[in-house]
Amino acid sequence: MSALGHYLEEEGLATVAISLIRPQTENTKPPRALWVPFELGRPFGPPSEPAFQKRVVLAALRMLERGDGPVVIEDFPDDDPRATQDLTWRPPFTPAAGAAGPADSLAARLEAEVGQLRDAHERWVAQHHRTTVDLSGLPIGECARYVADWLRGKAPPSPREGYSAPLILRFAVDDVKAYCLEAAAAGTAKPSSRQLSDWFWNESAAGAAIYALREVLQASDDDRLKLIVANFMVPAARVRPG
Amino acid sequence: MTRLTDLPPAQAKRLAELECPNFETRPWVTGSALSQRRVAIVSSAGLVVRGEDPFRGRDADYRVIPSTTRPEELLISHISINFDRTGFQEDWNVVFPLDRLRELAAEGAIGSVAQTHYSFMGATDPVQMEPYARELAGRLKQDAVDAVILPPV
Repeated sequence: MSALGHYLEEEGLATVAISLIRPQTENTKPPRALWVPFELGRPFGPPSEPAFQKRVVLAALRMLERGDGPVVIEDFPDDDPRATQDLTWRPPFTPAAGAAGPADSLAARLEAEVGQLRDAHERWVAQHHRTTVDLSGLPIGECARYVADWLRGKAPPSPREGYSAPLILRFAVDDVKAYCLEAAAAGTAKPSSRQLSDWFWNESAAGAAIYALREVLQASDDDRLKLIVANFMVPAARVRPG
Repeated sequence: MTRLTDLPPAQAKRLAELECPNFETRPWVTGSALSQRRVAIVSSAGLVVRGEDPFRGRDADYRVIPSTTRPEELLISHISINFDRTGFQEDWNVVFPLDRLRELAAEGAIGSVAQTHYSFMGATDPVQMEPYARELAGRLKQDAVDAVILPPV
């Protein structure tokens, strides 16, 4: 975020921004920025490649020693080696075919799939010693149930004090996605983000359920809910025309 | 290849043309050699320590990430879903390179790593973030930070 660099620098702190979108950085004109040719979400490049990441960090920090600013933008030269497909990768199981179906059926398949993925997810946690599931604060089974109940038309109340039902729904959807994608990446293969997201949105029951949820809830009378389901569930690149 | 040209045209156009503040000043702070600097991460990835309040919508404030935070404790609560999260899921350094900073400090390439790091949620209007950013500058200085790396997501 280049604007943060401007504010902090005005307060007397030297900053260097990582830039993922060069035209934005050129417009904002931060004191220093290193543009990197990586996909959105990966400002330091490939996961589990510490030497590569360190080169990115150091290239950025070395810009603090330049004396020819303000407004210097450098380009990191190397692409993310993990952006290429790993053809040895296989999803954890081949789900029942068909991305469509009645909402009740999709809701049941979503809950069943989360259960089926438990072993794979446990392998993931053992392998990486972490999970990013927990935004909703609900155990994953309850998370899947909460999303599924919305799909069944139940409009369940928020189970968490201080959080609205639409907000918990958004967090629960994020948690279901994270759980499925972590489970799908368990093992020694190194799938690209494209491979994982293709599986999730084209093959998994969870992906089909989230597509259906977006359709169903856009007919809601609740404008806040409509806004959330329209913009914060299915990525723009995955929204199907029509 | 993962450049802007790889995104759907409508998304790429929206990102490239996103309205940015038009600043009237061009601040530029110089300092000691990198090997003497104390470095903090100020992310805009909507990072939050597990159990703390996630970002809701476009909150303009920031979250505190102590350097004692472990990888299994850090979550992303960014409102946007239009970026890859699988890299962060596998390795937090993809977004929050604390391990790399520690290595650089151990090697003497940087002076030290800050005691505390921070995260904003980058989809927020920068103008709304400004008072929080200026307040944060004071906290960073109290920690003797003199170099800030600003990763987006």
